[in-house]
Amino acid sequence: MVGVLQYAKRRVDALRGNYETQRIHEDDLGTHFQLLLLVVAVVFPIAVALAVSTKQSGVVTSVVDLLPGGYAVENYREVLVDYQFGRFMWNSLAMSVVIVVGKLIISVFAAMAIVYYRVPYKDLVFLFILFTLLLPVPVRFIPLFQLMNDLGWSNTILAITVPYLASATTVFILRQHFLSIPTSIVETAKLDGVGPLKFMLFVLLPMSKGVLVGVSIIMFVYAWNQYLWPLIIIDSEANQVAQVGLQLLQGDVQGGQLSWSLVMAGSTLTLLPPLLLMIVFRKPLLETFSIQQK
Amino acid sequence: MSTREIFDSRIESGLLLLPTLLVTVVFLYYPTALAFRTSFFDSSFGRAEVFVGLENYVELLTSSGYHQSIIISVVFAAVVVGGVVVVSLYLTFLIHEVDTGQGLYLISVIWPYALPPAVGALVFLFITHPTLGVLTGPIESLGVEVDWFNNGSQAFVVVALAAIWKQIGYNVIFMIAAMNNVPDTLTETAELDGVGGLRRLVSVYIPIMTPTIFFLVIINTIYAFFGTFAFVDLLTSGGPSNATNILIFNLYQEGFSFFNFGIASAKSVVLFVIVGVLMFVQFQITDKYSYYGG
Repeated sequence: MVGVLQYAKRRVDALRGNYETQRIHEDDLGTHFQLLLLVVAVVFPIAVALAVSTKQSGVVTSVVDLLPGGYAVENYREVLVDYQFGRFMWNSLAMSVVIVVGKLIISVFAAMAIVYYRVPYKDLVFLFILFTLLLPVPVRFIPLFQLMNDLGWSNTILAITVPYLASATTVFILRQHFLSIPTSIVETAKLDGVGPLKFMLFVLLPMSKGVLVGVSIIMFVYAWNQYLWPLIIIDSEANQVAQVGLQLLQGDVQGGQLSWSLVMAGSTLTLLPPLLLMIVFRKPLLETFSIQQK
Repeated sequence: MSTREIFDSRIESGLLLLPTLLVTVVFLYYPTALAFRTSFFDSSFGRAEVFVGLENYVELLTSSGYHQSIIISVVFAAVVVGGVVVVSLYLTFLIHEVDTGQGLYLISVIWPYALPPAVGALVFLFITHPTLGVLTGPIESLGVEVDWFNNGSQAFVVVALAAIWKQIGYNVIFMIAAMNNVPDTLTETAELDGVGGLRRLVSVYIPIMTPTIFFLVIINTIYAFFGTFAFVDLLTSGGPSNATNILIFNLYQEGFSFFNFGIASAKSVVLFVIVGVLMFVQFQITDKYSYYGG
């Protein structure tokens, strides 16, 4: 493809008597320089956090203070154990895994019913699910708080997982993907007399691996980064998640009981799980995003 | 009629849809209905509810504090959305222009997609801290006294910068896909016609990317209104003197500092209307551009 285009371009250039445009495809040093500057700007705050998290105190007064210090092990141990971040991270992980797995299962069910069943009103049902895009947590956390009190779920993992299980976005992405699976494969399955369970396990899921990984990463990042709802509904430290744990650290550092290096260690720990997942699975993630926009 | 519809059992499809519908009704639609209902009551902790008709809405209409919060939210959204879109477009363009190191540049700028807002807030609090921030010295050497714990406009700028920083990753993910979709022949033609650099971005790429940019403007607006709660809560708590008290934070205070659930519910309804209008606009735009296959 590229070869053909370059050939075509050369032909056009030759016709125009213009040979200079050849050099456009060489990288421009100025572009690289600007990119490097911007990348440094985007990465700088986290690099500072990382460096400070390895130092004895969090006081940075010159560039030299940004070199890594020798207190990494001690700081991270203190945050994880003394400031309960081990516990908070575990709670965040439990919350995120329950949301990802639960959401994935029930969304695959729903999308399968919407795409592969000939039943009345299913378009209406799809719209009914899609309409919940209008009802994000900020619109309903006040009544949700009252509902959780009525159910007796406050301060439990149920409160921070179950309300997240239904997802218009996930059902939508899965539906789009299912619609892109060639009908010939589906018809073959039907001719072979494959039942719904077998169809899901041996046709649908194997053909959806990339998308399932992609939506799982999207869901994990979303769940792990939740802040407002756990802040409201979880009030015991034993059940608290990492995001709100950071708020507790912030309170301590503003009160002067805590060094900034520990706050930065807590921040780094909280960033790591979603960041690593994103970097490792960036390919299926980016492919899934391209479905979402359609 | 699509040949994908290979099953027709109503009971099976009902069972597949049941979990999603159950969670949707109980935790999304019901709380929303509850918010509408409570918005007509005087309701707070430990007191009997009293029906007050439209009184809560009248109070919002006449409250200068709430009007101020609306104005702050709109200005904040404009600054954040504008900042995010401009920076992300330029970054995407630079990455699109280079051939070497594209993958590395891309991951170095899209990672903030995974950044938890609470982490972003604490890191920003640290690097711009008026007494011990890393950036405070360099900024003050330019002749600006860093005093955002007391200075409202400075606080607004710090929160906005942190919010912009976090949202760049998500935007570049969508923009690079859209820019890569611009046909190579068009780029070649532009180059042959001597349309280089920034002018190519403005007059060739941006017009073709319009559907994606509109989509991102809506997503970014919703983010600026609702997704920035952690930044406000951890950086400024809405202060100083309400300078950063955007609607979502104002609602949180009404519910969980003042425990006025009646008024808080009316404020939830206002947010619901805002989300509804934004989604409606997005739907219209997507519809309009769908003919281009974008």
